[in-house]
Formats: sequence, structure tokens, C-alpha cells
Amino acid sequence: MRSNLLIALVGVAVSIAVVVTFSTGLNRGPLSAQDPSKRENFGGHSPGYPILGTTGDVLDPTSLNIDPKTAVIDPMKYLREFNYGRTTALSNGTSLREYTLIASDQQTKEVSPGVFYNVWTFNGTIPGPTLRATEGDLVRITLINNGTKFHSIHFHGIHPSEMDGVFEGIAPGGKFTYEFTAEPFGVFPYHCHMQPLEEHITHGLYGVFIIDPKKPRADADEMVMVMNGYDTDFDAENNFYTVNGIPYYYMHHPIQIDKNRLIRIYLLNILEFDPINNFHLHANMFDLYRTGTKLIPDEYTDIVTMSQGERGILEFSYKYPGKYMFHAHKTEFAEKGWVGLFLVKDSTAESATENSNLTSIERNGSYSTTEFSNTGNGTTSFVKTGGLN
Amino acid sequence: MERDDGSVSSSYRITKKTILFGVVPFVVLGVMVIILAYSPGMLFQSSIKPLPQVSIEKVEFLDNSIVAFIRNTGPSEITIAQADVNDRIHPAAIEPGRTLSRLADARVTIPFIWNAGEPYVIGITTNDGTRFSKSVASAAPAPRPTVGQASTFALIGIYVGVIPVMMGLLWYPFIRRLSANKYNFFLSLTVGLLVFLGIDALLESNQIAAALAPAFNAQILIILIAILTFISLLYVSKKLVERASRQSKTDTEYESEIVSHSTPDSEHTIDIHSSRSSLGSSRQQLLIRPIAISMMISIGIGLHNFGEGLAIGAAVLLGEVALSSFLILGFTLHNTTEGLAIVAPMAKSKRIPITKLLIMGLIAGFPTIVGAWIGGFLYSPIATIIFLSIGAGAIFQVVYSVGSWMHHTTGGRGLMTNAAIISGFAAGMLIMYLTGLLI
Repeated sequence: MRSNLLIALVGVAVSIAVVVTFSTGLNRGPLSAQDPSKRENFGGHSPGYPILGTTGDVLDPTSLNIDPKTAVIDPMKYLREFNYGRTTALSNGTSLREYTLIASDQQTKEVSPGVFYNVWTFNGTIPGPTLRATEGDLVRITLINNGTKFHSIHFHGIHPSEMDGVFEGIAPGGKFTYEFTAEPFGVFPYHCHMQPLEEHITHGLYGVFIIDPKKPRADADEMVMVMNGYDTDFDAENNFYTVNGIPYYYMHHPIQIDKNRLIRIYLLNILEFDPINNFHLHANMFDLYRTGTKLIPDEYTDIVTMSQGERGILEFSYKYPGKYMFHAHKTEFAEKGWVGLFLVKDSTAESATENSNLTSIERNGSYSTTEFSNTGNGTTSFVKTGGLN
Repeated sequence: MERDDGSVSSSYRITKKTILFGVVPFVVLGVMVIILAYSPGMLFQSSIKPLPQVSIEKVEFLDNSIVAFIRNTGPSEITIAQADVNDRIHPAAIEPGRTLSRLADARVTIPFIWNAGEPYVIGITTNDGTRFSKSVASAAPAPRPTVGQASTFALIGIYVGVIPVMMGLLWYPFIRRLSANKYNFFLSLTVGLLVFLGIDALLESNQIAAALAPAFNAQILIILIAILTFISLLYVSKKLVERASRQSKTDTEYESEIVSHSTPDSEHTIDIHSSRSSLGSSRQQLLIRPIAISMMISIGIGLHNFGEGLAIGAAVLLGEVALSSFLILGFTLHNTTEGLAIVAPMAKSKRIPITKLLIMGLIAGFPTIVGAWIGGFLYSPIATIIFLSIGAGAIFQVVYSVGSWMHHTTGGRGLMTNAAIISGFAAGMLIMYLTGLLI
């Protein structure tokens, strides 16, 4: 009886060992059934790099589209969208601009193809909307806190202490209107200033505030670029780097610009954790106006390095048509998403139906350009009136 | 009906009732499971999702790509979002698909032109942005199961397993000629060697287990397997001895220098090597005889060498070891002592046929070759752990057997008061440690 028990025990132990071994390790044969008809190519973006086939799923944030329904932002729309607020003329001749920002902290959105992250946002996107006013305007920004934590807006620029968004937090469900005169002209970040600051910033509570000089800058194809990152595994290191919220987005959706047309980029670095970030333009040089507070360029260069919170205005135009890269010249950031393309078109050579000629550039061999935004073609799409809500 | 049955035959009713009482807890348990798993409100539901866990079990370097074999070792289904090399995102593909159920595995192929000999970190990011990574110390082309590669592994196995054990067997005539005390020294030296091997196997498997996903509970598995191996081998050997002793009961009553016996099973020639002091037959019955001990040592060492072969093959595969003659030399020196361990217990027995010695040598040494093949071509950490633990259990059982046999031959006086035994034991462990430094 006792021996039978022991034999049974040993038998069980041996069979467990066998099952564990064969179910986990040694079965390195073909994996579970695959559909051989479903065969896709992947890889091969760089010259000399192999293109392989697979019957499984392709994991390629460098060329795959992100679902617009779940994406944290539409970078193409964001690029040239400026919000001038609800504008009314006051009796003293000053323009009053009113904006509404809604803070939330409970949504989970796609920040890179297939990667979902708890984003904290102003008006549902990272970066938040670009606010724009003219020097001397009276601005009123109403913050509605739709989140579960205290939030605030801290604007860079000149304003009174109680409008600085640091010492007064807005409680969940609360509301507050920041009011100040827009000054001086330049490019400014705005961001939540609640503690822990790092947490509130890295989750996405930031955006760009542009104050135009009273005498407008020269006409140009204007765009905003915010350099940021996402630390999706909370180890105080960024897993993704982007310009305008989605890694690699402008690689598969190149920004269309016209040959010889003046391009003006309002550039902000809000990147958390890494001490610096930078912007490098290929095959060209740009005039750099640091902080955008002067009308005379500080530098003529093809690379600008910024610490967190630093920003500037970049002006350039392309002499030759074609595809040109722009990316962080901190190569690590470029290889984790902060890279994009300009597609320079010769508008004089092309007719008004130019858009139809832009077919996708060879699939599987290069970045596909399947979806072009029609906000391009050199016309800045200003949102001139109306509030944000 | 039941009542009627009960009133008629009490013994039958009790059996039925017993079964019923045995089943009741299972029924209650089943109800509990249903309530917990299917209750609409979910009694215990956290708003926090369980954390994903991905194990990268193996990384292979192919011609134009790096292939990572991954497994979902977390509590729930996961979706893989992307792969990276050295923390830089690269296009990749995952087969069979990006969604992995619990404990399912997948193959991630990353087109990549890698440089041999350089370290790489392969990363996998799940759809919640968590990144898991595995470092490879030195990229090396994955061994392909070709004839050439298989014979290379076989050659390694021969040098590391078969030859050293065979060389160790050459000590057989030397040990035969030793006096009782010197013989005790070498026998306990053997015990020292074995204890070292056993500890080594446990530590090595623990190292692999610690790196493995917690879902496998691999560390407890080591102890479990070692203990199970130990008790089952102990049980089997005692049964064998009991059976043999019953057949030779009359002989064991006599006091003699050497009483030899043959069982029907020729593998287990019984050599009773009793001491000058008399012993009761009941005590002798429980002792295992020298050749049986040697055979068990061979098997134990064979299992150990199988695990060692797995480890060597895997190390070559994972690029952790550059194969060199020096490394092989280290293993050869280290393992030569294993042959000594096999011959020592039976040195004072009746002359052993050379073929039997060779068979024991092969049992101990040949598994290294098989291990190297399996480890090199189908690396599996779990399999390595299991075989190393079985080896450890087998070795400790041998240690126990040799120990009780020595206890018997020294006349039941404490083993720990015998200087030759103590020094032999210490020397055995030290030899293993020092030769181990060469690896």
C-alpha cells in the first residue's frame, strides 16, 4: 500500500516534469497554426537592409499608421492649427481673446502604433492646442478641470503672480480663468505646474502659446513643432520621442511644402527626463530666433539644441524639390521616433491638381505616404475665430 | 433507497458514505470557483490591470536578422506593440500573431545587420508601453542542426564527458592496492566530489531559474525535483537490496572479510564488505553493495553531465562562451575526478570486468553529448533546470548511500572522528573547487 502510494507520487512527479518540459521548452517546432496566405513584407527601410516576409503580424511603428480614433493627436492637423480665441474688441481698442482649456487625466490613448498610455491632456491632445495672440491683447484662458487631480496652467511670459498657475491649483471639477496682457512677443510654453511637476508634464499637460509682434512677421507657411517624449513604463527614461505627439508620424505622412516658400516653425522642447533635445534640418540652413522675442535672427544654422522649456522660431525655404529629413541630432531620439520628412514640391511646375500626383512612394521599400493632409500646399490653415470649446 | 441499503449492510453503506464525504469538499470548492469566476459584480475586482510579463527566452542571430523567442508569463493575455535592438526601435514581425494568451509563445523577427562578438539588448514592448529586454553578451551565429555542427557538439561532449570519466576509471588498479585507511580517504574524497557536484548543480539551476519568469515557480521546482529524485532512488535501491538480501540471508549471518554473491540481476553483484566487528543481519540488509553504488554514481553523474551538456550547448548558442581548447581542458580536468568517484566504492570488491567499467564510464559520460545537442539546438531553460535538479537529487542519494556504506565498513564508529575520512572529504571538495576555477 505504502509503496503503491510512493510509486504513484513518483509517477505524478515525473509526468509533471515531462509535461512542463515539453509544453514550454522543447517544442521549438512550428508555432501554432498560421495562415500561409497572409504573407506580408517588413523591414528594408534603410538601404542594404533586408526585407523579410511573415505570416504573422508586422510590428513597425516607423511605417504603420496609427488609428485616428484612438491616437492621442492628429499631428498633421495640429501642425498648422492656431487658435486665436474668441475675439472681441474692448472699448479702449484692445482685443480681448478668450480661450477654454479642459484638463483631463483619465484617458488612455495610443501614443505610438499599438502602444496605449494614460495621457493627461489639455483638450484631449498631446500637445495641447496652440494658443495665439498679438502683443498687447488681453487674454483670458479658462481652465476647466475635468480630471481627478489638481491641475493648473502655468504660462511663460510676463504676468502677475496670481496668474502664474503655481500656487493656486484647480481642484477636480473646478474652474479658473487666467487673465493677463499678452507680452512680450515670442514663443512660450504653457504647462500644468502641479506637484509632482515631472509627472504632470510627462503625462502630456503642455502646449504652445504664441504672441505675435504688433507688426506681423513676413507672410510664411507657419507650423508648430513640439518635441516631447513618453515614458510609458515609468522608469524615468523615455520610451518614445516625437515631434507633435506621435513617433515617426511625419515619416509616413511627410509635411508638404512649396519650393522657395518661406517656412516658419515655432519650435518648443518640452521633453522630460533628458537634459537636451535638438532639431536638425537636412540639406538646408535656417534663421534661428531664440525664444522668438526678437526680429533679428540670432544664428544661421542647420541645428538647434534646446533644454527643456526652451523654444525658438526657425525660418527657411527649400531651393530644390524632393524629400528632406528633419530629426533630433541626438541619434537615440531619432531612432525612437523623433524623425520626420518634408516633401518639397515645385508648385510652379505642377498644376492645381498636384495632389493627385502624389501617390505612395514604393511600398515596402520606403516609407509609404498614403494619407496626405490637404491642409498643406503652403496655405496656413488658421482657425481665426471661435473658442476651443 | 439509500436508507434501505444502509439498514441492510453497514459495511457497504460506510464505503458509499466515505466517498460522499470525500466528494463534499470538492463540490463546495466548485461552487466557490463558479461564484468567484462568474459572479457579475466580480467580488474582488481591482480597477488596476494586472501587470504584463514577457520573458524573452532565447535570442538567435541569423544571417540578416535577430530572432527573439518570447513567452507571455504574466497573468493575462497581452498584445505586443513593438521590438527594439539596443533600445532603438526597429521594424519587426511577430508570429503567429501579436496577441499572446497566457504562457503562449511567439517568435519575433527583427531584420538587423548585427556584428559578431558584440553585445546586444533585445527589447519587446507590450501595448501598455512596458518594455522587457534581454541582454546577449556576445552575438554569435545560431548553431544550425547540421551534421558538422552536431559533430562539433559531439566532440565537445566526448572531451568534456566521456574522456575525463574514462581517464578517471584508470585509477581503479591504484585504489585496489590501497590499505583500508588510505582507501577510506579516497572513498570520502569521492563523497566530497559528489557533494560539490550536487551543490554546483543546485546553484546552477537556481541561477537559470532566477532569470526565468516567476510564473514557472522554477526555484521551488528545483528543490521539489531534487527531493523527489532522492526519495524515489532511495526507495528503489532499498527495495533492490532487500530483495537481494532475502536471497542471501544465510550468508550475511556470517562474519567474513568478503562475502560475494550473485543476484539474478547480474548488474547487481553483491559484495559484502563487512568490518571486523560483527553486525546484525537486519542492519546489513539495508546497505547497498559497492557495485550497485558505483552504478548509481554513474547514473547520477550521467544525469549531472547531461545537465552540464545542456548548459554548454546553450552557452555556445547564447554566445556566452567562446569555445576554446582552454575551456575544454578545464572541463576535462574538472570531470576526470568523476571517474574516480565511480571506481572508488567497488575497488575492494571482487575484480570487475573491464566491460562493466566501460559501460559505467559511458553511462556517466555519454549524456554530455546528448545534452550538448539538445542545449545547442533546442535550448530550453526549464529542461536544463529539470535535468540539473534530477542530477542533484541522484547525486545526494549516492552521497547518502556511500555514507551509510562507509559507516557500516568502519564498524559503526562515527565517520566524523576518522581523520582519513574527514580529510578525504575536504580534499574532494577542494579539488573540485580548484579545477572548477579553470572553467
